[in-house]
Amino acid sequence: MRALFRRLWALVVWFWRVISRPSAFLSLGFLTLGGFICGVIFWGGFNTALEVTNTEKFCVSCHEMRDNVYQELTQTIHFSNRSGVRASCPDCHVPHNWTHKIARKMQASKEVWGKLFGTISTRQKFLEHRLELAKHEWARLKANDSLECRNCHSSVAMDFTKQTRRAADIHSRFLVSGERTCIDCHKGIAHQLPDMTGIDPGWKVPPEFNPDGNVSWHAPEHALQNFVASINNP
Amino acid sequence: MRGQDRLRLGLTDRGTALGAALAGLIVFACGALSQDASPIQIVPRVTGEAAPMSEVPVPALARPVVDDVRRMRNYPEQPPIIPHAIDGYQLTVNTNRCLDCHKREFTEGSGAPMISITHFQDRDGQVLSDVTPRRYFCTACHVQQTDARPLVKNLFQDANDIGPKP
Amino acid sequence: MTLSRREILKAQAAGVAALVANIAPPASAQPVSGGVEALQITWSKAPCRFCGTGCGVMVGVKSGKVVATHGDMKADVNRGLNCVKGYFLSKIMYGADRLTQPLLRKKDGVYAKDGEFTPVSWDEALDTMAAQAKRVLKDKGPTALGMFGSGQWTIFEGYAATKLMRAGFRSNNLDPNARHCMASAAYAFMRTFGMDEPMGCYDDFEATDAFVLWGSNMAEMHPILWTRVADRRLGHPHVKVAVLSTFTNRSADLADIPIVFKPGTDLAIMNYIANHIITTGRVNKDFVDKHTTFQLGATDIGYGLRPDDPREVATRKAEDPAATTPIDFEAYAAFVRDYTLDKVSELTGVEPGFLEQLAELYADPQRKVVSLWTMGFNQHVRGVWANQLVYNLHLLTGKISEPGNSPFSLTGQPSACGTAREVGTFAHRLPADMTVVNPEHRKHAEEIWRVPAGIIPEKPGYHAVEQDRMLKDGKLNFYWIQVNNNLQAAPNSANETYPGYRNPENFIVVSDAYPTVTALAADLILPAAMWVEKEGAYGNAERRTHVWHQLVKAPGEARSDLWQLMEFSKRFTTDEVWPTEILDANPNYRGLTLFDVLYKNGHVDRFPLSEINPAYDNAESVDFGFYVHKGLFEEYASFGRGHGHDLGPYDLYHEVRGLRWPVVDGKETLWRYREGLDPYVKPGKGVEFYGNKDGKARILAVPYEPPAESPDAEFDVWLVTGRVLEHWHSGSMTMRVPELYKAFPGARCFMNPEDARKRGLNQGAEIRVISRRGEIRTRVETRGRNRMPPGVVFVPWFDASQLINKATLDATDPISKQTDFKKCAVKIVSVSA
Repeated sequence: MRALFRRLWALVVWFWRVISRPSAFLSLGFLTLGGFICGVIFWGGFNTALEVTNTEKFCVSCHEMRDNVYQELTQTIHFSNRSGVRASCPDCHVPHNWTHKIARKMQASKEVWGKLFGTISTRQKFLEHRLELAKHEWARLKANDSLECRNCHSSVAMDFTKQTRRAADIHSRFLVSGERTCIDCHKGIAHQLPDMTGIDPGWKVPPEFNPDGNVSWHAPEHALQNFVASINNP
Repeated sequence: MRGQDRLRLGLTDRGTALGAALAGLIVFACGALSQDASPIQIVPRVTGEAAPMSEVPVPALARPVVDDVRRMRNYPEQPPIIPHAIDGYQLTVNTNRCLDCHKREFTEGSGAPMISITHFQDRDGQVLSDVTPRRYFCTACHVQQTDARPLVKNLFQDANDIGPKP
Repeated sequence: MTLSRREILKAQAAGVAALVANIAPPASAQPVSGGVEALQITWSKAPCRFCGTGCGVMVGVKSGKVVATHGDMKADVNRGLNCVKGYFLSKIMYGADRLTQPLLRKKDGVYAKDGEFTPVSWDEALDTMAAQAKRVLKDKGPTALGMFGSGQWTIFEGYAATKLMRAGFRSNNLDPNARHCMASAAYAFMRTFGMDEPMGCYDDFEATDAFVLWGSNMAEMHPILWTRVADRRLGHPHVKVAVLSTFTNRSADLADIPIVFKPGTDLAIMNYIANHIITTGRVNKDFVDKHTTFQLGATDIGYGLRPDDPREVATRKAEDPAATTPIDFEAYAAFVRDYTLDKVSELTGVEPGFLEQLAELYADPQRKVVSLWTMGFNQHVRGVWANQLVYNLHLLTGKISEPGNSPFSLTGQPSACGTAREVGTFAHRLPADMTVVNPEHRKHAEEIWRVPAGIIPEKPGYHAVEQDRMLKDGKLNFYWIQVNNNLQAAPNSANETYPGYRNPENFIVVSDAYPTVTALAADLILPAAMWVEKEGAYGNAERRTHVWHQLVKAPGEARSDLWQLMEFSKRFTTDEVWPTEILDANPNYRGLTLFDVLYKNGHVDRFPLSEINPAYDNAESVDFGFYVHKGLFEEYASFGRGHGHDLGPYDLYHEVRGLRWPVVDGKETLWRYREGLDPYVKPGKGVEFYGNKDGKARILAVPYEPPAESPDAEFDVWLVTGRVLEHWHSGSMTMRVPELYKAFPGARCFMNPEDARKRGLNQGAEIRVISRRGEIRTRVETRGRNRMPPGVVFVPWFDASQLINKATLDATDPISKQTDFKKCAVKIVSVSA
């Protein structure tokens, strides 16, 4: 018994030595290759997990999502439409860009708590929280200038002659000018809306708006966008 | 269905075709059948099929008219129809998408017609400062139109087209 | 210049109309070529032609044509509003294919069952019809003669029909299409209160704190009442709305408590609420002790299918489905104790939280509550139970018969109450809640009708579904259908309805304004005058009787159903239709026509033509030489006067926008059974349900029992049928109004998007809806007004090219005999597959 313990201890000591100064024991090539393979496995696993959690199937595996927001989505144009191109949950609710995606995933850990504690475990509770939940999404899309919308709907790619006159008019007045972003007007396109009391329609001119300038809520973001655009298209 | 009609007209001789065209003036039909001498026109959606209880292919669902062109009303009291898309417009206890554009305060920005003053009256005829809650559900009176052709001609006459002329 | 009262009334109406229409009233000083006459429209009042809400409309007539309609500001029901159908009333009479002459199936110049429809004169039509009726009477007697009427009949028409059938032909085979519509409600009223129709009225809406919709999509089906619900809910934030349905509909858009339950399980929800009220100690003991008694209902009552149907044999255990035995409160409390929150939540698929919230609306003594229901309750194999179970909740808490506390049964047709129920055109009924099985009632009716004793047969006739079965089986051979489209409306129609119409032994007559599916399956089609082409009267869901004048002439040779009935009666003499023993005992009735006996009887014909307002036409009266409508109305009113069904004097109804009966001393009654509000309640009683001899209402203990047919592995989804906002009745009028047609041009199958995707069905794809009985082709709709839960589809029945009733099951409530159009099993397959 004692012998067994001693051998085990020796093994641990040896392992520690190797680990603490690996290059003294293993070849550099082995280390590089091994490290690479381990890295691939780890990264692959991580990414797979990321991808799995980034599917609609995963989202609606929770009954909170399946019975509430998903049912509502299925009634809308983002679920079925003319060309059959469809948006699934993560297309709109998870940023495509990596850093933002990770940030959003970290945020999602809070949602796991919500799931564990049953914050919206019933339709009744969900309806009670709907305004709060919606406000989070509106704020997020507002802050990133409706990035997830724009992943598919590029404003510059819109053919105004293919839109109804009303839509073309509103888009050229508000969207192209950058005065407003998609979410300002298109709230509730994929889900039922919460109590909208006091929430003005997106295109309504707010009092602080200066009619002859482009003073909008996200001027700094536009400045950055313009800068990026200028270096990409010299 | 309409395709069938064309086929039928194409096959008939000239006289019958003329007769059918005349009947067509009376019955615009999706599948209207003009049987000579029959006093009843078969218009499947209102009379059923010519062979009772039988079944036939169903035409595709008609598409909403979204051309944004205002239509003349049949009489001034008629609620105007909705000439634009309302797909996915929410009209619930929480929100009213129609009011987002047609509410008085919003019409300047939206360019939409303001809701008629009649909609400001409560049950007792008292005029309120905004649309009365009893008129909240717009679609009870205002409907969209599809591109479906009317089944049967309606002989309703405009008040200004009959009687002493103004 | 002097103005008559009528002219002032009209001027006021025009002023109101102008106000409503947002136009300035035309002043005579305006520079109008042709003068102001060119602009003038004559406005008169009428009730709407469509639903049981009974909105008042102003009808504008110019040069003999209806040119405009709008909501009547003076009508209490709607105060100036109409729904989209009401606003297009102007066009319903002007479809180009109006029937304008009688059409008889003929071959080689004579009637032939397999002949082609041929225009004939009224004389030839009615003579052929009379010959057929006489043939049937001679061969098989009065029980082979039948008539299918309607909740769209005017009161006069229903009354003339019930007289003709029961006292003329001595047949009780008279039933209205209202059997498909609110028979369950009517039976439940009689069983609970001993008197038909609601105790409250629409004024409850403005006084309540909560609305509970039990299987009623008011937002689409009763849009104007919905404006009153919306007004109350949105204008008073403390008010709550609960909407219960088997799918999410437009009414759910206003819901604070949205509940989608599994079909048929509403019975369990109500028993749970009763249990909740009892276990939380909120029973209004004083009210229950003084004003109620308890009963235990018979169970395992079957499904009203043909007696040899295996399902019927397996499930029908009760001898008499309507039987009850008295019990006490404790026994009742023990009965509902099984219906716990957990159990009911499990059975119904509804979250416990919502069920509790709903139960509290009833249990909370501080909250007034109005319960509303229509076809979800009535078209239910346990429809009478469902109605009675909701009365239980109001009775246990005493929330009844006072402003804001009201169990309220809504109706679908404009005169379901006025004609079908009050006049008594059901196979077992007589006017004023009387029945043919009661000898005293028959005697009373015979006296008022001035016909010999023993004329009215005592055996109830065939009800709607049974009529179809009897036609098919060859036991009913002469059949007259007026103002309805039963081949489109009846359940399991390809197997049970159509064969009877084409059965060579049978002669089928259909009176209608337009060619319908039913008309085309008939042997004789009679062209009918409709709505304001005749003087009429309707009774709406809140006991309001509303009369209108004839405003325009009917096209061609079209004649009102009333004229047709009365003219037909001229073709029979008492010697031909009454038994000799009765004639021997009453020789003074010999040799008279039924017209003489029933209508020109010295009583109905006592008002001369001079009593008709000269500003209006009255086609039937001019034809028959007396004021037919007033005569019929006054005779009919004598049934109810002094018996709690009092109607006012006829002429008064031409002045007002309807009155809610009982009308005592010229005053209408808004709430019945409560002292101070109802003149029939004896002083000191407080509340008295005087329809029952003991003055008490019944609380019924009945369990949840499953529907007649549920989905299984093969037929895997529930089929629910119903209506849409734009089309009423069978669509025969609304489909001919271009704006209404274009708004909703055809039926479709509303379906859950995931259900569709699982079956590989695209939005808009063509599909077959198949049941064990029949199938239709239609298209998939996964969006729009009805949002279906998985496993449930909805198909409206207004489209004659998609006869969904070929698929429905002819199961009825065994007590009320009303069909369950809301629950059967179908499968959905792609047409291209």
